Amino acid sequence: MSKISNIIDLLEAGIKAEGLRQKAIANNVANLETPGYRRIDVKFEELLAKALNSSGSVDLSKIEAQIYQPKQTPVKSNGNDTNLETEVGEMVKNSLRHKTYIRLLYKKYKKMELAMNVK
Amino acid sequence: MEIDNTFGPIDIAISGMRAQGENIKLISSNVSNVQTTDNGNGQPYRRLEALFKTDGDGMGGVILDELAVDMSDFHRILKPGHPNADEQGYVTMPNVNLPTEMINLNIATRVYQANVAVLKRYQRMVETALELLR
Repeated sequence: MSKISNIIDLLEAGIKAEGLRQKAIANNVANLETPGYRRIDVKFEELLAKALNSSGSVDLSKIEAQIYQPKQTPVKSNGNDTNLETEVGEMVKNSLRHKTYIRLLYKKYKKMELAMNVK
Repeated sequence: MEIDNTFGPIDIAISGMRAQGENIKLISSNVSNVQTTDNGNGQPYRRLEALFKTDGDGMGGVILDELAVDMSDFHRILKPGHPNADEQGYVTMPNVNLPTEMINLNIATRVYQANVAVLKRYQRMVETALELLR
């Protein structure tokens, strides 16, 4: 994990991805009954893992969270594959991740503050 | 590096909620068709039963695998004058039994609630763990 020098950048990228995912979930919920709508999701963790696995340094600004259609849930008769339960679950997971990142960021700043306060 | 699935329990609870949601849909179909003497091909409505299956091997949640058709006998009631009555005046009614459906509805609702309870509890557990980061 030595490839990432700046943990703040990493957390920032994570929080950004969560923000985008929240938007995607909101979009899915808004289109619960839209005929032909396929649910969308955000791909970020996979891309990050791939970048960390590859050789060479990781440029976090190059890892962009992507919106994609998973097309894995069964399609209803009106061509729509969203359902409320899935979106609620995604939202719970997303908010837990978000909370984790925010807490870690808070800790990091706390540590810096502590270092600055040494007399 | 593999992405570790910390949120497995959430996915499993959601799969339970979805399966029971479908189950309730099926029960409401049975209830609404309790007096349907014609399912489109001249036969009375046959009640449907949800068959659940574990998703994946072992700990993967649940999916509604199949809508099984209940092949038990139709009820026959005496109703001369009904357009669908036979020579003796009997009408073949669907094999839906309302009390059974209501009990199934109760069970499905309870299972749904239990899954929501699991989801909520797991969410609280993760939040408790996150308190360590304060």
